[in-house]
Amino acid sequence: MSTNKPMPMPTAISAPFWDGLKEGRLTIPHCKSCGHWIFFPRRHCDKCWSQDLEWKEVKGAGTLYTYTLTRVPTLPDFADEMPQKLAVVELDEGVRINTTLVGMDESEIKVGMRVKPVFDTAHSDGTVLLRFTAADNDFPAHIDSTPAALAAASAAQADAAAAAVSKRQVRFDDEAAMKALVSDTYSDWSNQIVVDQELINEFAQLSGDDYWIHTDPERARAQSPFGGTIAHGALVQVLQSRLRVALDFEVVGFNNMVNYGSDRLRFPAPVPAGSRIHARTRVKAVEKLPKGMQMTLEIVTHVVGNERPSVINDLVILYM
Amino acid sequence: MGLKGNAAIVGAAQYKPEKYSTAPQMFHLEQVADLAGRALADAGLKASDIDGMVIHGPQFHEAQVFVPAMAAEYLGLSLNFAEVVDLGGCSSVAMVWRAAAAIELGLCQAVLCVIPSRMAPLAPNEDPSWMARAMRFGGHSTAFGAPEAEFDLPYGHLGQNTGYAMIAQRYAAQYGYDPVAMAKIAVDQRTNALANPDASFFGKPLTIEDVLNSKMVADPLHVLEIVMPVAGGAAVIVASKEVAARARNRGACVTGFGEHLSFKSPTYADDMVHTPIGPAADRAFAMAGIKRSDVQAAQIYDCYTITVLLTLEDAGFVPKGEGMRWVREHDLTWRGDFPMNTHGGQLSFGQSGTSGGMSQVIEAFHQIAGRAGERQLKDCDTVFVSGTGGVMSEQGALILQGA
Repeated sequence: MSTNKPMPMPTAISAPFWDGLKEGRLTIPHCKSCGHWIFFPRRHCDKCWSQDLEWKEVKGAGTLYTYTLTRVPTLPDFADEMPQKLAVVELDEGVRINTTLVGMDESEIKVGMRVKPVFDTAHSDGTVLLRFTAADNDFPAHIDSTPAALAAASAAQADAAAAAVSKRQVRFDDEAAMKALVSDTYSDWSNQIVVDQELINEFAQLSGDDYWIHTDPERARAQSPFGGTIAHGALVQVLQSRLRVALDFEVVGFNNMVNYGSDRLRFPAPVPAGSRIHARTRVKAVEKLPKGMQMTLEIVTHVVGNERPSVINDLVILYM
Repeated sequence: MGLKGNAAIVGAAQYKPEKYSTAPQMFHLEQVADLAGRALADAGLKASDIDGMVIHGPQFHEAQVFVPAMAAEYLGLSLNFAEVVDLGGCSSVAMVWRAAAAIELGLCQAVLCVIPSRMAPLAPNEDPSWMARAMRFGGHSTAFGAPEAEFDLPYGHLGQNTGYAMIAQRYAAQYGYDPVAMAKIAVDQRTNALANPDASFFGKPLTIEDVLNSKMVADPLHVLEIVMPVAGGAAVIVASKEVAARARNRGACVTGFGEHLSFKSPTYADDMVHTPIGPAADRAFAMAGIKRSDVQAAQIYDCYTITVLLTLEDAGFVPKGEGMRWVREHDLTWRGDFPMNTHGGQLSFGQSGTSGGMSQVIEAFHQIAGRAGERQLKDCDTVFVSGTGGVMSEQGALILQGA
């Protein structure tokens, strides 16, 4: 499914470049008259103005001309890449390319270092973006950063982490032990899931809320302040059931557990269609009631990389 | 070659910078008329003296094309010269020399240069979120076939911050980097703003620690090294010698100018850290027939601290690569040995969109005319002004000298 990140629209002039990337080849225009290499693609040589050009494959070896690490995303949609490692790479042929660095820690990045290309499938339509990594980096030359692929990878990670956690058992009627679970610190992040347009459409049908900002990508691209459609807050709220948070405790001994609803439900940040979301929780309060033990679990769902939560849900659970 | 210095800035007006949320909303035509009236009153001239106009065309609210004709009609002016300038932050400097050139060519006698930068009122059916939509890609084109839409935006290369940050990183790798010197640029300018009641940050002192402790936006740029966007707007009147003789201010004659551009994204510059102000300044100084050391104040376009540093070097005030040391060794305040951005610069005055660069032109005029209030320099006959648009993409230089 799509993402709200801007994607290239190949033209008749540039299509061979993008087609080449899909095949894992970096091709750029070369001037047959003066030997100059040309980037970005044009119909003429920007040195001698000849139109006698040819597409030639190059290795993609180059040096890092400059870079920056962003501490504020350049668009909210890039929050999942924070810090963005924006870079300018100068190929050995002399042309410079705007790109991003992948598979590198901040401290490894140095102006002048040798780099090599990484072909990144960034969109489910098969669009491949040209990224770079350190020449001596043992990093795959082909990666898949589509939201679906990243979410799948996160699920495997989260499952492994959950399996590694040893859960303490806490009896629901042990008031002191239950109250000791209250914490200001959140759990680790859950697995990630992609909130794509298909899911949003299904929810619109189910709930009857088919407002255009959720369901009409074309209109939303033109008119929505978010550059595209966004998920219903209520959809993101219920998706908390699909986000598995690995807790280090397990409440036991009760006969029945009742979801009492929510003390607080807020949707502070939008979830653009195509975003990945994940959640984390903390026990906010425990109270002994005549009917049983009531626990308030704060569940916060974020778009991956966004500091602002998209859903804050103080879920009230009664153990009886 | 070039100007003889027969045209001068004789009047100016600019809105006090304000937050967009609280500034009055006015149609751009209304702002143009209001600013023109104020600038004329400042000059002591009449509307009938104006027979030329240079106006900011991009983002003009009431029209995308035919802006000068619409503005002339609205104002009730009869013009012998009119044009639109589309050079981003370089536009103010670019407008002034175009006006001076038109006057020296004999096309006209007095030119209104004007940039409205307050928001226009929303139409009854207009969605208030239009601004957020319009700002999503900043100054970047998303049009089909626009190189930046295809080769920059998909990678997250957008906005000005990261472009300037990457220039700073390249500079650091080649010449070294001193965050304290960079912070000092902002701090010295703040000292100037403390003597300018119109500045956004008047009455708000700033220390080097404040700058270095402020949020990092894109390495190595802190938020206090980046201009704050504000609502505003500005106009100046450039007039012939004959008209200037009737004006009530000492004129600031345009004796030299230069302009240079060759790329939009600095990625495609021959050398990212040798900026277009180099050739522009060389031309301006040669035209005016003066030396760098003749300059008594420099009003340097300052969207970022790195813009100032590179301009000081590439315009020839400081040897290449020595800017950081030089900044630490000199006092850039209005009391100092190298008075620079004496109104506070846009970093402390506020950046009112494209008209932000006009604050530098107007400060130069006010200093030459002896009207700079508390921060008035004792001797100020020769001022260098720079303008910078895009990401060091388009730069211009002016030499202004007292009549």
